[in-house]
Amino acid sequence: MGKMTKKRKAAYIAYIAVLFIFFYLPIVVCMIYSFNDSKSLTNWTGFSFRWYGQLIQDGNIMKAVFVSVTIAIFATIISTVLGTLTAIGLSKSRKILRQTVLNVNNIPIMNPDIVTAIGLMLLFSSVAMPRGYFTMLLAHIAFCTPFVITSVYPKVRSLDPAIADAALDLGATPFQALVKVIIPMLKDGIYAGVLLAFTMSFDDFVISYFVTGNGVQNISIVVYNMTKRTNPTINALSTIVILVIAVALIVSRLIPAMMKRTMRYIMMGMVLLLLGIAIFTGIQSGGRTLRVYNAGEYIDPDLLTKFEQEADCKVIYETFDSNESMYTKLKSGAEYDILIPSDYMIERLVKEEMLQPVNKNNMKNLESLNPSLKGLAYDPENEYAVPYFAGSVGILYDTTVVDEEDVEAGWELLRNTKYKGNIYMYDSERDSFMVALKALGYSMNTTDEEEIRRAYQWLIDQRDSMQVVYAGDDVIDNMISGNKAIAVVYSGDATYIMSENENMEYFEPEQGTNVWCDAMVISKGCNDLDLAHAFMDFMLEDENAYANSLYVGYTSPVVAVAMNLATGEFDGIGAYIPGFEGERNEVFRYQEPKIKELYADLWTKVKAY
Amino acid sequence: MRHYAKLIRPYLVWSLVIVIVPLVLIILYSLTTGGNELVNIKFTGENFQRIGEPIYMDVLKKSLILGLITVAICLVLGYILAYVISRFKDSTQDLLILLVTIPMWINTLLRTYAWISLLSDNGLINRLLEAFGLDPVTFMYTDFAVMIGLISDMLPFMVIPIHTSIRKIDPSLIEASHDLGASNRQTFWKVTFKMSIPGVISGVMMTFLLSISTFVIPKLLGGGQYMLIGNLIENQFISVGNWNFGSAISIILTIIIFAGILLMKKFDKDEKEDN
Repeated sequence: MGKMTKKRKAAYIAYIAVLFIFFYLPIVVCMIYSFNDSKSLTNWTGFSFRWYGQLIQDGNIMKAVFVSVTIAIFATIISTVLGTLTAIGLSKSRKILRQTVLNVNNIPIMNPDIVTAIGLMLLFSSVAMPRGYFTMLLAHIAFCTPFVITSVYPKVRSLDPAIADAALDLGATPFQALVKVIIPMLKDGIYAGVLLAFTMSFDDFVISYFVTGNGVQNISIVVYNMTKRTNPTINALSTIVILVIAVALIVSRLIPAMMKRTMRYIMMGMVLLLLGIAIFTGIQSGGRTLRVYNAGEYIDPDLLTKFEQEADCKVIYETFDSNESMYTKLKSGAEYDILIPSDYMIERLVKEEMLQPVNKNNMKNLESLNPSLKGLAYDPENEYAVPYFAGSVGILYDTTVVDEEDVEAGWELLRNTKYKGNIYMYDSERDSFMVALKALGYSMNTTDEEEIRRAYQWLIDQRDSMQVVYAGDDVIDNMISGNKAIAVVYSGDATYIMSENENMEYFEPEQGTNVWCDAMVISKGCNDLDLAHAFMDFMLEDENAYANSLYVGYTSPVVAVAMNLATGEFDGIGAYIPGFEGERNEVFRYQEPKIKELYADLWTKVKAY
Repeated sequence: MRHYAKLIRPYLVWSLVIVIVPLVLIILYSLTTGGNELVNIKFTGENFQRIGEPIYMDVLKKSLILGLITVAICLVLGYILAYVISRFKDSTQDLLILLVTIPMWINTLLRTYAWISLLSDNGLINRLLEAFGLDPVTFMYTDFAVMIGLISDMLPFMVIPIHTSIRKIDPSLIEASHDLGASNRQTFWKVTFKMSIPGVISGVMMTFLLSISTFVIPKLLGGGQYMLIGNLIENQFISVGNWNFGSAISIILTIIIFAGILLMKKFDKDEKEDN
């Protein structure tokens, strides 16, 4: 278009270059760190291909890639057909109908993802539809179709109706006129719709997260659950994804002829093939299966394969990012055999009769468990829970910044203005209130409103005087990089951080802290009790518990294994052996809804300012 | 051509089941209490009353302001980019637009992580500043970081529709304007910009929508204390478990968005009538 002076052209190119740097900088960084030797996403330690090797071996990620790609393709095809036909139909409909449909069509576009997601989740659970591939596909079609309609409809409107009429007058059937005349003229709009639908579907996280189940996960869900321990395999994956997409798009643009006939046949063949595989993987499960629901990055994946071989079964393994989201999923009708939640959540599940007792006669490795993890308040008779990992909450500090004598203040260290702006609190309602309550000398399970309000005041004072940052699991990477001097962390995370950054030290304040235990429990709807018990027993076997603890970095509940690691791999890292015995330590208990709401409300007020 | 009208029927059924029913469910939740069990529901307006509390109003205000600023910055940067791209020859334009699209294909979460590694206290940008002998700057957990994350995520949604509508402008209109004695500036505002308004409107709507309802980016780049409406809703559904209040906030958010869009539509219409 038009002619440009040289100077102007240079300015244009400069502007484009600056913005493209802005677009591509994070992507380039993401790609570079896929070759990083260490696990950190901020600290470069050396060049390596190890994450690419892990990627290929990681069945979970490969499956997620398959799910993401096939769902995106099917959702795009179906929503394009549905959307295009609707757009054409709309232009011929009565005005009132047209306006109504267009408005309804705007709802999924304009509704925030999370609202759409919750709505669909409520819908699927109210008709008791089993969650999985199919529900995810339906949801994707639901949010893709409106985008197709909005891109195609304006094109239909600008179409000259006389052309279609001419085709009909010349003897074409309505179908012929549609396929041969109308649709080709809408090409641009349809193409835009396809692109938009595919992009939306491929990148979707929130909606997929809420409507899926039974082990079906797409890439985003795997990534989100990985935030617990950021893992560069996912960078390796996105490096490959971006290369594939860039090459495919550029090739398809540069060689438009390729998009002609032969290409169409190839595409159709591929779609059929994918459909075949999708159906095949859907029905292939015969034999015994065990559905396990665990926190993200909280198991050595090799153990799952090993168990599958030993017990001759298939493990459907799914992950969650917090106890609360696990609970939300269970409530919305998702079914599993084994769950691995935390203490207070187990108590809640027991209270709500969602679990069944463990048959101790069916297990031979219970003896090896750490006695101080037995009989904890959330499951006093050890009826329901088999410990999986345990630990404490404490303070991690940078010995090069924090004075040793300041540490003696315990939790009050977190209000020492010397370290203003240098502190991470953990973004968790219960753990933050625990800190405040313990600092004030109360029980962290208090139901006394006055005490809770004082703790709230403590948190507000701290927030205002210390410029606190409430970080999630990103605290791990941040502390490894030494971004701030003090952080409230779980002992297991401290172990990992300390093994990566030797300046860090961990302690549990004497005012007492939260001793927590994540444990395996059997759900009420468990399909195969024998297999569930076998799995729990398997996880407690010395060799397996060792591998798991080494991989995750959290403290094994098996005494011999924990001792072994404490003097071996994790030698010198105090956080690996938390003080379960501390006099003022407690475990979190179930909260009555009223108290829970009070805490939640106050916590929102602490954070939102 | 009338018989094509019935092509709409499958979608009518579909949207009833998959759009209307879920919405009704959410409205039902927002107007009741009694938790997630449908056994002991009670109709009430208290969920909506609660939003009136100052703390929640502040969250609403903050989200709105952040959303509007993000949209404004995206509009300026995006419009210039779209315009500049449209000055190149067709094949170059295709390539450039393709390059704008590609980042959208990379997982948003991953791109946000990458921003963290760039912006953190010991991150790449600060190390670069140090190398030049400058003092490090705290970017993370500030408005700036959140804004950067949002803009880099949403700019393509602004650029693409604007570019599409600029590209559609018939070059002879611009020639005519020049022939009739209009200056470059006049031609730009009276012809190019005016004719690209549909693109601007869909870009603004899209970015407004995304920026006001986001929760992942502020959570990661702004820290847990960065509470926007999206985070509030997520919190209610996931960690607090109060679906009723969560639904009520969702409804409010939906209303805000619809109001914003109606406003834009009205603006669009006035603009057309002016012509």
